[in-house]
This record gives sequence, structure tokens and C-alpha cells, in this order.
Amino acid sequence: MSKLDATDIQGFVLRGYGQPFARYLFLEIVDAQHGRAFIGRLLDQITTGERWDAGKPEWTLNIAFTHKGLVNLNLPDASLLSFPVEFVQGMKARSEILSDTGKNAPEKWDQVWLGGGIDIWLAVNANSKEALETQCARLQRWMEETGGAKIVGLQDAGALRINGAWSSKEHFGYTDGFGNPDFLGVERDTQPGQGKLMADGSWAPLATGELLLGYADEAGELPVAPIPHLLANNGTFMVYRKLHQNVATFRRYLEEKGRLYAGGKEKLASKFLGRWRDGTPVELSPDAPNPEIVKDKLRNVNFTFVNDLDGTRCPLGAHVRRTNPRDGFGFNGRLVNRRRITRRGLPYGPYVPEDQPIEDSDERGIIFMALNASLFRQFEFVQQQWVEYGNDARLGNDKDMLLGNHDGHDKHMIQGTEDPQSPPFVCGGLPNFVELRGGDYFFLPSMTALRMIAAGKVDPR
Amino acid sequence: MANQSGNVYGLTILSPILQDQNAETSHNCAIRMKLASLPCDEFSPFAKLSSTHMARLVVMDDVVYVGMPSCEEHLKSQYLIFETNFDGDLDNYLTRMAREISADVDAVWKHCWGYPGTKNLAAFIAYMKKCQITTTFYFADVNSKTVQETLTALQTQAAVARFIEKNQGRPAADLQKSFTEFVAKLHKAPAPVAGRPESGGPPRIETNMKWATRN
Repeated sequence: MSKLDATDIQGFVLRGYGQPFARYLFLEIVDAQHGRAFIGRLLDQITTGERWDAGKPEWTLNIAFTHKGLVNLNLPDASLLSFPVEFVQGMKARSEILSDTGKNAPEKWDQVWLGGGIDIWLAVNANSKEALETQCARLQRWMEETGGAKIVGLQDAGALRINGAWSSKEHFGYTDGFGNPDFLGVERDTQPGQGKLMADGSWAPLATGELLLGYADEAGELPVAPIPHLLANNGTFMVYRKLHQNVATFRRYLEEKGRLYAGGKEKLASKFLGRWRDGTPVELSPDAPNPEIVKDKLRNVNFTFVNDLDGTRCPLGAHVRRTNPRDGFGFNGRLVNRRRITRRGLPYGPYVPEDQPIEDSDERGIIFMALNASLFRQFEFVQQQWVEYGNDARLGNDKDMLLGNHDGHDKHMIQGTEDPQSPPFVCGGLPNFVELRGGDYFFLPSMTALRMIAAGKVDPR
Repeated sequence: MANQSGNVYGLTILSPILQDQNAETSHNCAIRMKLASLPCDEFSPFAKLSSTHMARLVVMDDVVYVGMPSCEEHLKSQYLIFETNFDGDLDNYLTRMAREISADVDAVWKHCWGYPGTKNLAAFIAYMKKCQITTTFYFADVNSKTVQETLTALQTQAAVARFIEKNQGRPAADLQKSFTEFVAKLHKAPAPVAGRPESGGPPRIETNMKWATRN
């Protein structure tokens, strides 16, 4: 296939920027005409997928729209009605399907996500606090100058600072950021294990259409996309979820159960996620963390589950196994190739070391963002069938230990062996370690589509 | 062997639906209305037949004409499709249908051509067998376990998981003692009753299907 036009694709889609500071601005459009003017003002500021030959820029900017936002920009009805139904409805309307009920129900969300919802998501990522504030001030100025939009909410996020250095850990202490999929045509530092498993045991990039609209997906079809083709091409859909983390509860639970588990607390923590907290994949090293593997790009994502079908190395319900079962369901992993998502999330809230007091009620957690060509077939499927349910993994109703909406009745089973250091263990009475505080579905258009939207020239014919 | 998959019998029945130009409501519509009113899950009349793994009733209208270049064809009749997987043999199941849920069966099948009713058992069984077609394709829900065995297994699994959770990490001697007591209690526990939700059986198994189909 021909090379992707990286200048037409928003940079956020093609790579995680790895910048430690971020702010997400949630905007409401004032009216269509002025809204278009504001978008027009932003056009030459949006970061594309172009390679950075001069190193990382000080700040980056990206933009995405809810369906309501596109309605408020007066896109033609034929285009608006051609978007996939889950995007049209928005994430709040689909809370039953996603198990966003009880503690995760919309009534519990931050104010900004209630009511009618927002129109535009603007993301500023930056190398420094100063660059972040400067860029946000400019955005505010452009909003005022064009009269096109107003800020109805803000969310800061950023890498955790641990022992005076930037870390890729999240608040439960797990090293994050492994395993984003490879796609055909997307230039990237490829690692074995990121793509799809081939019959000969090698790994190949996934079809471009699993990430980007307008390209063939793993089934050889074009994913459902809005008309006209130019509106959809090189765009993608994003799910944004603010996941509050009950870190105090997590630490208490791990401490309490860690005392009962023969392998000890850190090994128990590794059995929740499927990686040790330093990032070592449990499948490759079930008995101890291994910094050599973590550092080795050829190994740290490179594993399969075919020799661990009983889950005694990596539990069947461990988070990384639930969200990417690889060949764990047979058929050489083909059942999984249409269920991969690209994650771009960042933590929010300050890090507190393990030996210091901490409250669940503190504002901290992770801003989970995932990109995929089909919200329904990719994110929603994984969320409903593999995170909030366990049947495919033969775990009945059991939910993901860390993410699951447990409601006090759930359990996480750690399959064991006769090795006294690896006994079977049941983690019962699971509290909600994570609570959803809001979010929505967004469309990240290509630069071409953005220019059409700004010019009011989206033509569905 | 056709119709049989391990211990499970797969029954597929196609009953032609009556066509009456003079009826105020067509039999086709009447069946649909009746089926729409039947409770599902454990409240279904078929749940009372405790050997039923799954059952479903579908009204087959006609072949769908999708436009040129395919040619237009039509079935000679509309059909009621009844599919069920159950434990045991066919005669036994049909007899239970006629004896234990006769009202619901008559209410549905009375709209079908040649249906004799459940009062005459031999005629009922003969009618159903006449409508039967060979089943060769199965939904593999459980591997050759009867409904009763499956419910007992689920009850045991839940109890064992609870036991492990309560006792893990305890010293070996205490563990052995507790386990012996647990096993004795488990053996004495009343077997869960199939198809009777009020009997306080094992935890309800969520299927997630209601979430998937709601939108």
C-alpha cells in the first residue's frame, strides 16, 4: 500500500507525544459561523503526524469533536446521519452497554459531562508548565477574538513525577504504556508482539483500517465511516474516559491480600495486571521481575499465551490478558485482530509514595484515551465482553480486577500450581478500584476534513 | 449420530402455520403476538421442563427477495420453528411438554396446520415427529452435562471459590479441618432445582446479552 500522508493526519493519532504536561480543554461552540472561524484560526497550529526533524516541539495541539459539536457546526444532515450510531448517541447514552452503572453511572460524573455535553476537545501537550500555560492562554485569546467557542471545563494531566524524575508509572504503581499496536503504513519503532501474530510465529502490523478511516481493516472492508469520503478519510474515533483511582483502597487491599498470598505482595500485584510493577511481563517471568526484559525492546511485549492456557503463569483474568488475549483463544490469535485499540492516556493528580498517607477522595487517576476506527467493534467490545465480563476467558461473570465495576460481589481468580510460591488464590470482595468520572466519544478529523469543516464546505454528495 | 450431541438431544421442529383468509387476525400475526407475550429466561414455560438447556421459537415468514439478479421465490407456507436442546430422549420430552405446559403449547401450536392438541398424547407425539427435521448443528453450551449436573457444578464452583477465599493463607492443619467440614456440608447441600428461580439456586449467571441487544 502507498505511504500514509502524515501531514494530513493529526499527530495524536499516529503517536503518543511523550510530553509530560497536558491539558484538555472542553469547549462549547457559540454558533456555527463563529465556531468555524475559531477552527479556521487553529488550522495552522494543529500538530500533524509529520516527523519532527528538529526534535520535539515545545507544545502540541490537537482537536476532536463530539457528534453534538458537528451538529452545532451545521454539518449537512446527510453527513451527520451517516456517522456510526454509537458516536451519534455518545458515551453517556450507552452506559448500560458499557457497565457504566452504579458507582460509574453518569449521575456520578463530573459536572462538565452532564447536561447536554461538550462540543470540542482540545488537547495541549507540552514539555514544560510554562509552554502549556502560554499555549492555553493563546487558545483563550483566539476563542475571544473569534467569539467562536467558550471553555466549559478543563482537565490537567501529566506524567507522574517520582523521586525527582518523570516516570511512566500510573498511580497504582504499574509501569504503563506497553503494547500499542502496529499498523501498516504508520512509521514507528516496531517491537515484536505489538502487531498481529502470524502462522509462523512472527508479528506483522495490523491493517491500517483498524485505526484510520478510509483504509481496509482486518476483514478487508472499509470501516463504517461518515460521508463524504473526504470527511472520514485519515480520521479516527476516540473514547475519552476519566478514570478516578481509589489508590488508598488499592494499597490497603494489596497489603491485606499480599500477607495471605504465598508469593508475596509484589507477585500478587503482578497477577492483577499481567506485568510486574516494573513492567516485566508475567508470562515471560512469572516468579520475579526482570529489568533486563523490561529494557529489551525485542522482549518486553513479545509473548504469547499458547503455552499457558491454564493461566498458571499469567492469570486468565489478568488485565493485559483480558484486553489483548493474543493467541489465548486459539486460531493463532486471529480472533483478537479486530479488537485492538491504541491507547494515549496520561495520569492526573499528584503522585504520593507508598509509605505516605493518601485518600481515595483525592483527585487522582488516569485519563484513558483510546483510538480506533470502530468504537463499537473495538473499544466497546473489549469493555463489555472482556473487561466487564469473563465468559470468553471461561471466567463466568468475573470482571477485570483493576477496571471492573465490581459492586462488592466479584472475584479475581489467580490460577496456581503445586509450587508453594504459586498457589491458587482467590481475590474476593473486590471493591471498585477505579471509578468513572466522565467522558465521551470523539471524532478526530484529518487536516483535509478540518479545513472543510472550517470553511463550511462539507458536501455529502 | 444425528439429533444427538453427547447427552444432549437437539430437536428442530418446523410446523406450517394455518392460512385463513377469513380470520380477523391472521394465524401468523396471532402466533407472533402470543410469542411476544411469553416470558423468557427462567420464567419461560420451557424452563419448567427442567431438562431444557435452551429453547427458542421463531416465526419464519418467507424467503427474502433481495432484488436482481436473484430470482423471486416463495415458501409454500409460513412456519413456526421450534428449536430446543434438552437432556434425555425425545419421547420423554414431548410427553412432558404435553403434560406439564399443555396450556402454553396449545396456545402457540393451535395456529398450526394439522395440530391435534396435547390431550391426545399419541397424536401429539406423532404430529411433532412428523414436523421434525434432522438437527446437525449445535450450539455448544456445555459438554455433555445435563442441566442438573451443570447447576450442581456451578453451585460447587461458587462454594469452592468462597471456601478458598475465606481460608487461603491459613496453616495446613486448620485448612485440612475446615476443608473436611466444607466437603461434608457440600455433599449434604440440597441439589439446585432446574427451572425454579424461587428455590434459591446458585448465583444468577449474567449473559450480557441484554446489554448487547438493547441498542
